[in-house]
Amino acid sequence: MPLELIRPSDWNLPLFVHVLGAIVLVGSMFALVLLALGSRRGSNAAMFARLAFRSTLLVVLPAFIVMRAGAAWIESREYPSGAGEPGWLGVGFAVADPGVLVVLILIVLGWRSVKAGGGGWAATAVTVISGLYLVALGVAMFAMSAKPT
Amino acid sequence: MTTYGWLLFLHITGAFCFLGGAVTAAVINLAAQTRERPSEVAALMRTTQVVVIVVGVGSIMTLVFGLWLVHDVGYGYGDGWIVAALILWAVAAALGGAGGKRERETRFLAERLAAEGDAPSAELHSRMRDPATLAMSYGAGVALLVVLVLMIWKPGAG
Repeated sequence: MPLELIRPSDWNLPLFVHVLGAIVLVGSMFALVLLALGSRRGSNAAMFARLAFRSTLLVVLPAFIVMRAGAAWIESREYPSGAGEPGWLGVGFAVADPGVLVVLILIVLGWRSVKAGGGGWAATAVTVISGLYLVALGVAMFAMSAKPT
Repeated sequence: MTTYGWLLFLHITGAFCFLGGAVTAAVINLAAQTRERPSEVAALMRTTQVVVIVVGVGSIMTLVFGLWLVHDVGYGYGDGWIVAALILWAVAAALGGAGGKRERETRFLAERLAAEGDAPSAELHSRMRDPATLAMSYGAGVALLVVLVLMIWKPGAG
């Protein structure tokens, strides 16, 4: 049995909170990409822009907070002194920490897109940034799950 | 990287597609429930077509790589938490599939109404909030959440 499968039982709850937050973050970011794509053009662009903005505020932001809080919680259990942290953990934080800025930028751009009634540069920017961050989350997931040395 | 590392990555990727896709579908369906014009409902529900593919691929990946992991790690296929997870996986797939089929019929109704004048419809309004459809979709979500709990706590695993 691989050694990484053996973990103290009091790590389970923080790990669950982190993973659940990450799953909802990935799912809601994917929804945001789809809604933002719809907000770029067409007769329903304004509706898609409003729903993309609301989704960012009501789902993406809370999910990000839960994911990041869960990450800090499980890190405090696994590496209480901060010493000996593996490289894959650094990859996770390299994606998660700038994420707060990314989410805030998405909120501002989403609001701008709503004000513009959809379409325009703001809708395109939300689409591109949310798509790129979804890819970055995939990279973090690879590092977190495969734990490459 | 070890075989275990690759298998775990592919299993977790599947889980993120399966559960994350369910979250995506829920967000878009909840958004659709706030709309009254059939063309808007139809446009939103059309965006979930790609999500259905992601969820389907994810569900297969979780099962295939999950079973492979059981073999690779040396767990027993008859362990209680694995049997429970397999049953709940099947329940989630069945409920999600049935709920998805009903939602597809609702999309067809929305598209037809959109083509016939795009006036708000009481039938579409009630279909969007049909308790049986919602119970199936959210029931699938709850089953998947319990699977996630089982995967992390692994009750009874040696």
